[in-house]
Amino acid sequence: MNEAVLEVTGLNIFYGNFQAVKEVSFSVNAGEIFGLLGPNGAGKTSTLSAVEGLLMPASGKILVGGYDNAKNPRNARANMGVQLQATSFQPELTVTEIIRLYGGIYGVTLTEENLQEVLLSIKLQNDGGKRFGQLSGGQQQRVSLVIAMIHQPPLVLLDEPTTGLDPQSRRQLWERMEYLRGKGHGILLTTHSMEEAESVCDRIAIIDHGQIVATDVPARLIEKNRDRPEVIKASRRGKITLEDVFIGLTGQEIRS
Amino acid sequence: MTSLLRADFTTQWRNRKSFILILIVPVIILMSWKGLVDKLGGAFVLANCITVGLTAIGLMGYSNSVARDREKGIFQRLRVAPVAPGAIMISRLCVQLAMILLMTTAVFIGGNYFDKITLSASGYLMGYISAFIGGAVYLGLGQMVVGLIKNAETVHSTSRLIYFIFIMVGMFGELGVLGKQIGELVKYSPYGTVKHILASSFQPATWDQSSFIALLFTICYAVVFSILGIRWFRWNAAK
Repeated sequence: MNEAVLEVTGLNIFYGNFQAVKEVSFSVNAGEIFGLLGPNGAGKTSTLSAVEGLLMPASGKILVGGYDNAKNPRNARANMGVQLQATSFQPELTVTEIIRLYGGIYGVTLTEENLQEVLLSIKLQNDGGKRFGQLSGGQQQRVSLVIAMIHQPPLVLLDEPTTGLDPQSRRQLWERMEYLRGKGHGILLTTHSMEEAESVCDRIAIIDHGQIVATDVPARLIEKNRDRPEVIKASRRGKITLEDVFIGLTGQEIRS
Repeated sequence: MTSLLRADFTTQWRNRKSFILILIVPVIILMSWKGLVDKLGGAFVLANCITVGLTAIGLMGYSNSVARDREKGIFQRLRVAPVAPGAIMISRLCVQLAMILLMTTAVFIGGNYFDKITLSASGYLMGYISAFIGGAVYLGLGQMVVGLIKNAETVHSTSRLIYFIFIMVGMFGELGVLGKQIGELVKYSPYGTVKHILASSFQPATWDQSSFIALLFTICYAVVFSILGIRWFRWNAAK
């Protein structure tokens, strides 16, 4: 069993009187892709925000690479790489300048040679001088991912990274995730794509109404829940898929 | 911090069109008030131009760039990295201080070129110091605007409106065009006090008790605006 790069224990998050996250606990191991799935408003983003340190939980413990997020936030952040939902870099800066900016922030010294290697790894070796705002969605996502990885963190958080990408770019990103897993990084992935979760995740947690309702490897999750009447009802093609299990466990109604 | 500063200065440099826009109104005043220099005094004209420039930097430059970057999630991206939130803002403020320095220098050069206004060495030095103090008022005001308003478009239109009101009421009120009462109010407004300390600084020998009162008001405005602006500010544009 690989060591845990992220341990979340008894996490509770409130917005005023509304409890968005209730006693959520899970862990992500080194060399593992862990998917956090849930309908809109289920508590995924709140959980992720707490791990990122953007949101202060009411209670619970978050350890990133062994560092307590509340006690050592800077060390915890230094041990994680984050790709946010929006590709959020200054559009006026070039790809090279963005890589240098975040290299500097994470204390990574980048020689010209290193920089070329980084650009080559995301197939932007000829676009280093291009402004971020001029890149395509797929190229922006690749830059975003490489920035998340610039300091080789034990934990990588990917918040719906394939949203809006074409199938080619999506497949490329999956390959990149698998490559990172192979190198021993732990990845926490949130996604609405069941196909993505089934294809790349080693383990999945389904969160609904702020609580984790199931955690397991995708195949076992399907196997364990295939006979539930609500899962059978959700099935559309006879064959039970992860999406059917997801709908079965979280309900058919549309969330805001 | 060095990386942040480099990135923020580069971003500002790539947005140099906004700096030109900030300079336009002071330059127009310098050119159009040429005939009034003898009547109003060179220090009065320069002080007005720099006050207008400071208003533009705080309200049009600073608040709009912060609102835009907040909406685009640029701050959130920086905050998930091991960088102190204070460092993000200090870097932004350093860029604005450089803008104040550039704008003040440009007005001094323009004043000399268009209106033949020259000051003593101590006048220039005191002028720069007062410009930084006055700049703090408008940066604080800009911070208040982005603190109160989340939407970048609304910040943009609100800051333009405040800028327009400030320069119109400030300039014409001081000249007495809008009546005595308004003139008196303008004297103690952020526009009036900043203009006053600038004009007195350009001629240090004229610095008197009213200049001290204006300085006191200016510092109070800067502190109150900044405290409220920081208190109300949210890093995330989402409600």
